[in-house]
Formats: sequence, C-alpha cells, structure tokens
Amino acid sequence: MNSKSVNQPRKESDRHDAKRWYSAILARPEVGPVGVMLLLFGMLGYFSIPSGEFSLNPFSGEGFNALAIRNNLRVISQLGIVAMGAGLLIISGEFDLSIGSMIGFAGGVMAMILRWGFAVVIPYVSFEGGIHIETFTLFKITDVSPLLAVSITLCFTLFFGWLQGFIIVRSGLASFIVTLGGLFFLRGLTEIIYRAFNKRPDQTAGSTTVTEIPDIKNIVNVPGHGELEREVAKSLPQADLLELLKTIPETTVLKITEKLTYINESVAASKNLLLKNKGVKGLEKSLENALSSGNEGMVAILQDKIANFQVEITSPRIVSDVDIAKEYIDTLHSARPVANFFGGDIIEPVFDWLYFTVNWNVNNYGNQFADGLYSCLMIWFLLALICYVVLSKTQAGNWIYSTGGNLNAAKANGVPTNKVKVSLFMFSAFCATMFAACQVFETNTADTSKGNLKELEAIAAAVIGGVVLTGGFGTVVGIIVGAAIFGISKEAFFYIPYFDGSFYRVFLGIVLLASALANENIRKRVIGSV
Amino acid sequence: MTDKNPLIEINQLVKKFGSFTALNGVSLNVYPGEVHALLGDNGAGKSTLIKVLSGVHAATDGIIKVDGKEVHFKSPREASDAGIGTVYQDLALNALTSVTRNFFLGREIKKGPGAFGIMQMKEMNEITMREMKKIGINIANPEQPVGTMSGGQRQTLAIARAIYFGAKILILDEPTSALGQKQQMEVLKTVKRVKNLGNIAIILITHNEIHARLVADRFTFLSLGEVIGSGLSSELGGDDVKRLMAGGADIGDLAKELENVT
Repeated sequence: MNSKSVNQPRKESDRHDAKRWYSAILARPEVGPVGVMLLLFGMLGYFSIPSGEFSLNPFSGEGFNALAIRNNLRVISQLGIVAMGAGLLIISGEFDLSIGSMIGFAGGVMAMILRWGFAVVIPYVSFEGGIHIETFTLFKITDVSPLLAVSITLCFTLFFGWLQGFIIVRSGLASFIVTLGGLFFLRGLTEIIYRAFNKRPDQTAGSTTVTEIPDIKNIVNVPGHGELEREVAKSLPQADLLELLKTIPETTVLKITEKLTYINESVAASKNLLLKNKGVKGLEKSLENALSSGNEGMVAILQDKIANFQVEITSPRIVSDVDIAKEYIDTLHSARPVANFFGGDIIEPVFDWLYFTVNWNVNNYGNQFADGLYSCLMIWFLLALICYVVLSKTQAGNWIYSTGGNLNAAKANGVPTNKVKVSLFMFSAFCATMFAACQVFETNTADTSKGNLKELEAIAAAVIGGVVLTGGFGTVVGIIVGAAIFGISKEAFFYIPYFDGSFYRVFLGIVLLASALANENIRKRVIGSV
Repeated sequence: MTDKNPLIEINQLVKKFGSFTALNGVSLNVYPGEVHALLGDNGAGKSTLIKVLSGVHAATDGIIKVDGKEVHFKSPREASDAGIGTVYQDLALNALTSVTRNFFLGREIKKGPGAFGIMQMKEMNEITMREMKKIGINIANPEQPVGTMSGGQRQTLAIARAIYFGAKILILDEPTSALGQKQQMEVLKTVKRVKNLGNIAIILITHNEIHARLVADRFTFLSLGEVIGSGLSSELGGDDVKRLMAGGADIGDLAKELENVT
C-alpha cells in the first residue's frame, strides 16, 4: 500500500495557507475604492495647478482652494446622501430605481408648500345647477414653517416608499420592475402636480419651476424691525441702519470694525498687486519687442521703468457706520433654524479663521473666498454615522445583512425580513427627501426635472464602494468612498487641459465595471472559495 | 430504556394537503438521550412529518405531546419555544457573515431600544466559542465568515445554535447528505456528543442506513405516509433495514427487477 505514515495527522486547517498581511488587507472590501479615490484626488490637485507653475504638492492646485472644496464637497455629499439609502437597500437584496423621481417629487411638494401653503381639499359631486364637482376646503395653512413643510413632504414620500416595499414583499415581484414603475409614476405625478397647483389663481396652467420662494434660511431677527431677509435688512434706509447701530454693544462694534478694517486692507493690497502685475505685463511685452528689434536705448529705458514701476496706491476704504450695521446683520443667526439646517452653511468660524488668521481663504480680489461648507455635508455625515452604527453594531444591521445574504436562513431564524425590506425602502425615500430638502432650502427653487438619473448614480456609487448587487455584502465606509469617487471624478476631469469633460462618464463606466468584478472576487474570497 | 418518559410523543398523526394524504396515522416516541432515526424513501412523508413537528404546517388530525403536554403549533416560533429545534438541510446560515452573527441571528444579545439595540459582540463571541466547543469544534476565530467553514463545521454550528437556544428535541434533516466522507464522520461525532449530553432527544432523518446504524438507538421506517416498521437498533438485522428502506420491498425482488432491465 502506497500511503504515507506521519506522526501528525494532517488537519483540515492545514490546507489553508496562513494569510499574509497584504492579502488580509486586500480582502477588505474598501481597498480598491480607496485607491481609486486617492488617485482621483491626486489628479484633481495636479491638473488644477495653473499652467506654467510647478508644485511638488498636488494639493496646491485650484481644485483645492476654499471655494472648490466647498463646491466639490457639495457634489459628493448630495450624492452620498442618496447613495446611503440605495446602498443599505442593496445590501438587503433589493434596489430602488425611484430615488431620482422621489427627489423631484419631494422637492416639488416641499417648494410648493413653502410657496403657496398647504390645504386639505375634499372634492364632492354637486347636483345644484347640473352635475359637477365642487370642492370643500377642510383647512388651509398659508404660511407653512420649514419644519412643517419637510414633515408633510416626508409623510408623502415615506408613504410611497412603504407602498413600493409593501408591493414587493407581498407580491414577490422583482424590485427592479416595481420601482421602475415608481420611477415613471412619481415623475409623471410630479409634473401633474406642478401644472395643477404651481400657479396664481388667475393663471390657467402652472409652471414647471417654483420660484419666488423667500430666502428662508437667511431670515434674521433685526432689532426694531422684526423678521427680515438679510438682503432686505441690509438695504434698509441709512437712517434705520444707523439707528440699528445704536443697539449694538460696544465690544461687538469694535470687533466688527477690526474685521472690516482687515478686509478693506486685504482688498486694497490685492488691488495694488493686480494693477502692478497688469502694468508690468504691458511693459515686459514692450521690452520683448525692443529686444528683438535691437533698440538698445529703448531696452534700457524699459528695464529702468520695470524696476521702478509704481502704481497709484489705492488706500484701504474707511469703515463706515453703515458698513458696520450691514456686517452686523450678516452676523445675526438665522431665525429659521430648520431651513438653515438644510440649506445653510456650516463651520463658518473655521473658514473665517482661515481667512482672518491663516490668510489662506482669500480670492484674487482680497475678499473671503468661501463662507463655509454646504450643510448637506453635515446631513450626509450624520446619516452616514447613524447608518454605520446601525449596520455594523446593531441587531437591525445583522438582520439587514442576513436578509440580503440568505433570505431563507434569515426567515428560518425568525428575522422579520419583510419588515426589514419595507423599512429600507422607506429609508431610501427618506434619503431622497433629505436630498430634496437640501436643494430646496439652499437654492430656493425647485423644478420637475430635479434628481433626474440620481437613482442610477446612487446605485453606481454604492457598487463602486464595494456593495454587491445580489445583496448581503457591503459596508457604510465603502458607500461613503463610492460617493466620493463618483463626485470627485465629475470635478477632476474638467480640470484636465485639452480633455473633454465628458470623459468622466467613460472613466466611471470603467470604474463601475472594475468595481463590480472586484467586489465579486472579494465576496468569493470572504466565503472562502478563492 | 422504557423507564424514561418520551420527550415527544406522536400519536396517529394525519396530514392532508387537499385530497392528498401525506401522513396517514403516524405514531412514534422519542426519548431523551436517544437518537431516533427516521428512514424512508423519497416521498415517504419524512419531510412533511418534520414540517408538522417544527410548526411549518398544522396537523390535520392526531396528537403531538411534548413532555406529556399536548401541543398545537401555529408557527415555527411556537415550535421552537416549545423546545423543538430543527436543523434544515440548507442549515439556515448566511455564509457572508461571521460565525457569531449566524449563531445569534434573530436572537442577538443587545442593549438598547428594540432592533436598534447595540449587539454585545464580546459576550456573543465567548458564548459561540464555548457552545461550539461543547459539541466538539474548536473555532479559532468567531469573527470568521461562515463561508470559510467546512460543511461539517457548518452542521455543528447549526446544531450548537439550536441546542443553545433551548432545543430539547433536535430534528436533523439529512445532516450527512452532500458531504464528503470525513465530514460525514465529523457530523456523526457531533450527533454522538449531543446524544451523550443525555437530556436531548434527536430525530435523525436520513437516506443512509449505514450512518443511521452507527449512531441511532431506535428506528422508524416510513413509506407512503405510514409507519411500516420500527424497533430498537439491537433488534433490527441488516436485511430488515435494507428491506424497510426500500419501502417494504424485498431486496431480492429489487435485484430481480434490476436483472429484468435490459
């Protein structure tokens, strides 16, 4: 018999080689996406450095000045908000194509409630003077607060989210087809609602854009004048502004004066620098011409002129009392915290510090570049934090993973899989509503095409972040990274010179495919079949 | 063995699906510390019987007594609350998540409000390791995905889970099918260890009479929804088992049948 006799019988575990440190890292689902994200940040930085300049630090490019950071983070976090809902839903084994339409619907409802008010109207058939339909207004609120507007909108969107989930778990139909129905239904409904309600009583057809919503987040309580929009308050008559100045404490006035003096000096210095560069540039061109034509006398004169070039020095503007009053109005806190929560700015003190103390957040004209970051970043951050805790630390998280990973196993162990799925459909609708609220309160407008294609972007972001479409696999960190990749590539490609901006879509298509392949590989690695 | 009271008594159990009679008066008793092998060909009614016992289907007629008390299960939850733990063929495991997460799936130890309670992973990991060790598998890392475990280990995990969550009557649905030789032995070892715990009654459903003979104390043979034979392991001869497995046909007849096939 040809068999080996060994002292130590070979165990099952001996067949697995001990994992090396790098293969342990490579088995983490976030590795690939983080790499791509870093590459994109590098690209954005490197290509946004102005031509002719050289820097070893890619992050000195214009893609990373204060304003660009503000704008890039908005793109990323808005997508991140919906990707969070889409991602969790995919992990539970379903997906939602109605997110984009839900955004349009929520934005429209919210904006119209803010613009026109909210009423519950009951139609009934009247027989007086021929059969026709009359309406009975149960109640009507004309001045709806931001919180109430968001709450009413949430009632509608959560209902539609619940309905889609309910239909899917009850009928056993694929979520693809049910939510595709939702995509058409909600977009159509949104357009109908706009045409039916978004109009003055004397108009026949409504407009597909809601405008003239007051700048709610910038309503402040001005002493002696009550609640006013900032811009309106600043354009009050001079006498009123001077009157207001008397109510401001002395220390505040001093602080504001100091601030304004700094700004005026910075503006003046920038202006002088700009003028000087402009003047010197003209002289240098003349010098070039003189050199090529060999006019030595002229060359000497021009060189002398460049060396001693002087512009008429602009002295800083004097801080006036009206300026102080206006600046004071700017520093007042919003009287509508909910609107400010969705549409306002965050971490302004940091950006002030970067301007006044660090002297970095400065544009070419000496003014502050960015006031702060868009508040949707905070909302994204809060959502992501909650999702992270729920998905990886709580019972609900284990239920979500098992519902997507092995539905029958989850059912057999008493997991209420239908509840899990329906809740996640509602969460996806909730995320879409948050997205819409951020847009409406930030821009004070809404229109029917808002959120178009966002459902596919959200799914793509989740897949790029390592979520497997068949469910059961993915992490919140991955979804965050996926949204960052999607958002940043939208920006980075526009900075590459001689490059069509639409290449970002080509790039994303490839990244998406590569991610899907990598995810499948990692999934197999985790379940041990590789 | 008769000095013990049966943990589960099944008396004249009938289950009809419309006009189809799946079980036609099945009776059997299972005692603690014993393995009761339930054998029969495809369609004999084994699956229907365990589904009735585990609360998936309600019985049409007949009596089921657990610990001397009559029970009528309306849902799998009620059956598992009464102490009947069923380990299905697909094991009800999620290969993508960790051993601990599977062990406690649906019954997580948590602190906090409702489903959003924080899972106590450390405690859960310790319990998982301990319970797996009790029936013979020493896992190195309770955080490893179930997908990395062998079929035998998965079977053990499912059995340990059922026992930990209060199963007094353990129903194993073809635990050795679709496994390699070595892993089959692993599972049988596990079954033996559970039997040795002494207080758990095991119903072992299998196609494989060799495996049944290795661990079972009692046999019941089903055919076409009826019991066609039963007895203690010591009373049954090898030919009896083979004959009864084939649904009562003589093994000699089968051989003849085969010969006639051209």
